[in-house]
Amino acid sequence: MNLIRGFATTIKHVLEGPVTIQYPEQERPVRERFKGRHALKRYDNGLEKCIGCSLCAAACPADAIWVEAAENTDEERFSPGERYAKTYEINMLRCIFCGYCEDACPTEAIVLEHEYRLSFNDRRDAIYTKDRLIDPPPHGVPATPQVTEPGQFDRSIPDMENPK
Amino acid sequence: MAETVTITIDGQQFQVPKGINLVDAAKMSGTDIPVFCYHPKMDPVGMCRMCLVELGSVVTNRETGEPDVDDNGDPVVRWFPKLQTACTQTVSEGMVVRGATQRVRDARDDILEFILTSHPLDCPICDKGGECPLQNLTMAYGPGESRFVFDDKIRLDKHVPLGDLIYLDRERCIQCARCTRFCDEVVGDDVLAFHERGRRLQIVTISDPPFDTKFSGNTTDICPVGALTTADFRFGARPWELDEVPSICPHCPVGCNISASTRLDRDFGGKKVIKRIMPRQNEHVNEIWICDKGRFGHHHARAEERLTTPLLRRGDEWVAVDWDTAYSEIAGRLKKAGDNVAFLAGNNLSNEDLWELRKLAHRTSNTPRLGVWPAFMTGADAVAQAGVGTGTRLQDMGPDSAILVIASDFEEEAPVWWLQVKQAADRGAKVVVANGRPTKLDRYATEVVHYEYGDAVAVLNSFAARARSKNKIDADFTARVDGAAELEAELKGTRVPFADAAETLLDAEDLVIFAGGEGLTLDQHRELMQAAANLLLLTGHAGKPNNGLVPVWPGANLQGAFDLGFSAETTAALADQPPTVWFIGSADPAAEDAALVQSLANAEFVVVSTQFMTPTAAHANVILPAQSFAEREGTFTNGMRRVQRFYTAQGPVGDTLPEWRIYANIGARLGGDKPRISAALVMRDITQNVPRYAAMAYPALAAVEKQFPDVGGDDLYYGGTAYTNTGGLGIQWPANAEDESARLQVRPVQLDGYQIEGLFAVPVRVLYDRSTLFEQSEMMHTHVPEPFAEINNQDAAHIGIVDGEVIRLNVNGAQHLLTARVNGQAPAGVVLVPQLLSKTPIVIGPAACAIEKIGE
Repeated sequence: MNLIRGFATTIKHVLEGPVTIQYPEQERPVRERFKGRHALKRYDNGLEKCIGCSLCAAACPADAIWVEAAENTDEERFSPGERYAKTYEINMLRCIFCGYCEDACPTEAIVLEHEYRLSFNDRRDAIYTKDRLIDPPPHGVPATPQVTEPGQFDRSIPDMENPK
Repeated sequence: MAETVTITIDGQQFQVPKGINLVDAAKMSGTDIPVFCYHPKMDPVGMCRMCLVELGSVVTNRETGEPDVDDNGDPVVRWFPKLQTACTQTVSEGMVVRGATQRVRDARDDILEFILTSHPLDCPICDKGGECPLQNLTMAYGPGESRFVFDDKIRLDKHVPLGDLIYLDRERCIQCARCTRFCDEVVGDDVLAFHERGRRLQIVTISDPPFDTKFSGNTTDICPVGALTTADFRFGARPWELDEVPSICPHCPVGCNISASTRLDRDFGGKKVIKRIMPRQNEHVNEIWICDKGRFGHHHARAEERLTTPLLRRGDEWVAVDWDTAYSEIAGRLKKAGDNVAFLAGNNLSNEDLWELRKLAHRTSNTPRLGVWPAFMTGADAVAQAGVGTGTRLQDMGPDSAILVIASDFEEEAPVWWLQVKQAADRGAKVVVANGRPTKLDRYATEVVHYEYGDAVAVLNSFAARARSKNKIDADFTARVDGAAELEAELKGTRVPFADAAETLLDAEDLVIFAGGEGLTLDQHRELMQAAANLLLLTGHAGKPNNGLVPVWPGANLQGAFDLGFSAETTAALADQPPTVWFIGSADPAAEDAALVQSLANAEFVVVSTQFMTPTAAHANVILPAQSFAEREGTFTNGMRRVQRFYTAQGPVGDTLPEWRIYANIGARLGGDKPRISAALVMRDITQNVPRYAAMAYPALAAVEKQFPDVGGDDLYYGGTAYTNTGGLGIQWPANAEDESARLQVRPVQLDGYQIEGLFAVPVRVLYDRSTLFEQSEMMHTHVPEPFAEINNQDAAHIGIVDGEVIRLNVNGAQHLLTARVNGQAPAGVVLVPQLLSKTPIVIGPAACAIEKIGE
């Protein structure tokens, strides 16, 4: 009797089909809030959201982020306001994907996206520079630096209001 | 401490000095009264209202003089009906202050809420964010939320250049007037002002060129918000990312304490670089100020033009070699040359460099020739005798003091001393300015003496004669001065052309003499320094604080060079007996002296250690790449003989080495000891061999003590972002006059002027020049004038020259094209020629010259 019960279980599982998936040919979708590799976002007009304030680097518990800022001009504008990130690097070997950088960002420029396939042949490849992190500009919009009208983008941070 | 009064702050009683400001008194007692507009180095204005407190005084019974007491036995306090601004109060006996009550808290809340109504919340991009008094005080005292309607926020310009060094963000300005008051009160340059009224109130610059002051960077330090930022640092880094390294400014004899803010930089190969220079508090030296040359003159440390490997001349080419090859080449030549070598030390070699250079020199010869560069000032023995007393603080000098500044364009040669002397004049000190021409300090002078160039010694000597004739000789003091009687006899009958100036100096209780070298030959300068020592020693103004002689040396460490046995006289003698081998340490004589260019060209072998390919290095056979002040440790001795340490701020560039190590390595090739492994050990050698430096071991130089006012640290709101001194206050070596048992010497001085017929050129020094290090700071190039000559109005009219015209100056057998300035500065018969505005030597001492108009 026990023998039959045992076979029945086995046969049931044989008929169930496999639970494994053929990664990397197949991929399991990640959750909406999954914290994968970072991306630097842009506004619809193509300007970078990142203003180079270094608050992400200050918040980072793993000291994985390196930011160097420089000054925008209307002839060479990367982001609204006066300051932009000249250098922006994240060391993915150090990053613990805690998402503090996302919380610290005053302009919602850095977002932990769903990319998780991070592997490197060289330690140095693990340092993601700004051009690897930043999203491409929206379709039909020039990349940065842009030439802009004087006075149009002289403030970096969207007007803040008291939390409601 | 002087008289004290008792005040009560929040129920606790404190003894504080009488008559000081209430905010300062509270600070000293450990209670913080928050301020924005008040600054301990400036007069209060009470503009920001942040310092509101409840203020009262104990009621005293008029009959008994005893305090009235209430039923509980507590003293009765008569309170002001309204809150008072603490910064506009001076403490008085029985003052009672309450700063922790709800009423005061509410008031501070309201003030901060009000200030923030028009202040943008762009802290994430603001350079002050992280070291911002407004940010800190809002966190500490401010309301949690604002009732303000954000649509009503005013929008103002965020990028207003005030000159090319400082940018103003009008939105961030909270109208505290610290910057305008700094320029008006502290510096005395009328360059910034308020424009408009009420909500439209804004800072504007009213000078042409804009923000025309040599101290503009200090306004960014004391700005309590991020309204003022420097072009140098703008968005360079966040304050919390910077490593602060205590350092000493390498540009002038004041020896300002600075803090090098360093950070790794991708543009510099991921290595550490200096991002900005901030003042570091030293109340004995620079207080909390530095000039713009010190603040913006650090770029040489990471300039691309830096030499990175030893270079050997092969024919007309330079070949990069390793250190060993360079050392062998030099050692071989030095061994052969024997006595025929001259060693020339530049004006910003550290004491350790100088010591090793001296040791190397003594290894090549028993009587080595040790010269300094520049070599137009001397008189270290006069300084050793009558140098300013240890513990001197120019900020202590007031109505009882007198300061003589002679033969120096003080603001150009030693800006921060100028600032302190100017402030002393504001406090009532008598300032006498003696020079051959008007200088900026004249405006603050009690007496101005304009002598004819060449008469400087006679003028100073006549002051001593006046002291004799007016019985101002300090007999107690002269008892230990050898030669005093002979000198007095010699002074008898000396004519005193500027009697008022002499009286002004002699009537004062304290007397400091700042002696420069403008318009003097080297021989005259030695006499000038002796004349200064004579005056000070005869009148007893030596051997105590705030009395004595301060030389305005050209450079950061000429005092150290003189202390370690180098001399200007040796350099002068080299012109007559040029050596066959030159060994030049970080000096650039070829840019200043045409005669030396010739002997360098004629020399068999020239070794130059330098950071840059200078005109002198172009003559070299071997160039040794040296490290800048930022890459190594060391000490400088400032003009007041204070030995001060600077620390390693950034990694070395290329294969460069500190100069002391280079010299020691060469010495080792000549059979000397193994080189020391650190600068500290070199200094230990110095302490053991140079008696004056016996106390200057590195740990002692690093000692700090609490200074007032508190700056840096948590107290950014109080004194600005000058840094707390953590690197050491330095130690002054005492002059002979301070040793009661020491015998002092005076002697009559030679009064010979120079006999030059017709027009003559006088070299003068300007702050912003093209000297080796400073010319690397590109941002300052707009402030460095094209080579020019100042010509007397009548002389110019006679030749037919107008202001701004290009002229040809014939001097010392060479011709130079210069822009003429006809602005009433040059006395008749004199052409003023600023040094180092180009790399072509023009004139090194007073010399006959001729001016030609260039025909159209």
